[in-house]
Amino acid sequence: MKLLLQKIVLPLSHFTLEVNVEIAGRVVALCGPSGAGKTSLLDLLAGLRRATSAFIQLDEQVLTDTARGISVPARHRGIGYVPQDLALFPHLSVRQNLLYGQKHGKACDGLFSMEHITQVLEIEPLIARGVRQLSGGEKQRVALARALIATPRLLLLDEPLASLDGGLKARILPYLARVRDEFRLPMLYVTHNPKEISALCDALLEMDRGRIVGGG
Amino acid sequence: MDVEAWQIVGFTAWVSVLSVIAILPLGLGVAWLLARRIWPGKTVVETFITLPLVMPPVATGLILLEILGRHGWIGGALHRHFDLDIAFTWRAVLVALGVMSFPLLVRSTRVAFEEVDPRLEQIARTLGAGEMRVFCTITLPLALRGIIGGMMLAFARSLGEFGATVMVAGFMPKTMTISRAIYQAVQLEQDALAYRFLAVSVVLAFGAVWCSEWLLRGRRH
Amino acid sequence: MKIHQKKRLQPALATAGMIAGVFAAHASDVTVFAAASLTDSLKRIAGDYEKQTGNKVLLNFGASSTLARQIEEGAPADLFFSADEARMNELENRGLLVDGTRETCLSNSLVVVVAADSALNIHSAKDLTNVGVQHVALADPKAVPAGVYSREYLEKTGLWQKLEPKVVPAENVRAALAAVESGNVEAGMVYKTDAAISKKVKVACEIPPSEGPPISYPMAVLKESEHMDDAKAFKKFLEGPQAAQVFERYGFVVRR
Repeated sequence: MKLLLQKIVLPLSHFTLEVNVEIAGRVVALCGPSGAGKTSLLDLLAGLRRATSAFIQLDEQVLTDTARGISVPARHRGIGYVPQDLALFPHLSVRQNLLYGQKHGKACDGLFSMEHITQVLEIEPLIARGVRQLSGGEKQRVALARALIATPRLLLLDEPLASLDGGLKARILPYLARVRDEFRLPMLYVTHNPKEISALCDALLEMDRGRIVGGG
Repeated sequence: MDVEAWQIVGFTAWVSVLSVIAILPLGLGVAWLLARRIWPGKTVVETFITLPLVMPPVATGLILLEILGRHGWIGGALHRHFDLDIAFTWRAVLVALGVMSFPLLVRSTRVAFEEVDPRLEQIARTLGAGEMRVFCTITLPLALRGIIGGMMLAFARSLGEFGATVMVAGFMPKTMTISRAIYQAVQLEQDALAYRFLAVSVVLAFGAVWCSEWLLRGRRH
Repeated sequence: MKIHQKKRLQPALATAGMIAGVFAAHASDVTVFAAASLTDSLKRIAGDYEKQTGNKVLLNFGASSTLARQIEEGAPADLFFSADEARMNELENRGLLVDGTRETCLSNSLVVVVAADSALNIHSAKDLTNVGVQHVALADPKAVPAGVYSREYLEKTGLWQKLEPKVVPAENVRAALAAVESGNVEAGMVYKTDAAISKKVKVACEIPPSEGPPISYPMAVLKESEHMDDAKAFKKFLEGPQAAQVFERYGFVVRR
């Protein structure tokens, strides 16, 4: 992926997010202390927030250009998002959650089909269950699967393993590697954890108080 | 209670239900705009909507009469062009009930929408859903309990409505509702009849408010 | 042959009459806005009228001031039967009455009432100034006709100054009676016809109509009526002897 983030200005509660960076790579880690603005940056990328000024270009498409009044709505960006709190729809079953983003009429690509994804992430037995009945690790995988079934071209993950214990972390990490290898999706991966970084990422970006302070 | 009295009960219940249904689309829309959007003039609209709650109902009724009577700008036009009357027909009762319970519906529904985690709506958008789909598949189902609670509250308010209805519909027998029937019975010293109506209206209102409370409380798990 | 034809004709005519009656009744519904104090008497009279003519009369009772206001806003009334001239004047000034149809043939008299078990000795309005009477209930002397007339009478007889501090204004006649019934108020002044509806009060004394204020119940056909002829027909009935009997039975004074 090639991700251009230029002239980003977004006032937050304690500081202003100001970013000017070009990101290239397959899986890019985004680290920094909590409150550094990482989630806000992801929100901007996904089209869930508007900045005072921003120029965002993903590969060949301009997603946001405040100078020219361009802002592609979230639903057309093709950017998958697995937020920190997972945001699984509590009133829908696992199956309904998974199929929520599935595009109809598109030739069901074997790679991104529900069958394949549930197989890769090993969540087939969970499909009929309600969301509340899932364990922490299961919820993670369902949230990941849900984002994948929508055939994104970029995946944003906000500390996906942060709330899991060591053993579970070790078990889910290979799934993420599998996603990286099988689906060849570029990912922007927010994390503190060096193990995750070394296992998955090929580039690193550091943020602090709204600015990029290292990496690239 | 004789047939005529039960007819009054039936009419009151029916027109109260109809009034809630009538204000539902606008009420949901306004509540959603108040809950999810910031726009210029928002405070003015919020205040305007709350007016029927805080103004004397008779004053609201007078304003409605001035608009809906044959000399009013809506009532006059309808009478001249379509030979349609609103004031002193069941339509005026419907409008009065709707106006008086609208603020209650909007308040409850707004809270219900605000309690839906906006994060869920955002993620739905990243999954490709347009605003309508987000509303129908995420916001509405999650707010449903609160919305129904609000509807029950609006229904109870409609059941008991008196002041505004007196102005736009008087005490004509064919548009008589329970509260006005009680008032008239008391005026004519028919206390026994008044108490019977009172008992029925208490049962109806109690049922509606109880359901509303149960639904509204049940949301906070 | 002639008799046969007649026999077949009669049921046919009767059926036709009934069917015509159904449609006729709808077309000639007269809507009457009347003061609340006329409720019992008018209901009876309207019932008699319906039985005799088959025309329906729709009655809407309320406070004369509210009714007048509603008529001004275009309420679908054909006939207005008010409890005082002032309200009728308002409508006349706005040109809402049909010329020549304004009539006053009904009047009332004022009475002083006390609780049914009261031991007070009241034989005239002057006795209200006695120490034993601390409160006197009147229907709102500013807006309700009964209260307005009471006040006029008391002013005319020079009693108002002494009684004004004792006056408890009530929202309407019924509320004034309720105050007397409850014992919170020792006496009240209402119409003779109003006193009749409460069993828990008794009439202490009656103000003779010749001494009392000119209470009148004017009625008129409204210009915007869509059932003008039927309204006039019912008004004629109201002015007739049959209606007069009913009114007098309920305690009204009929001017013939």
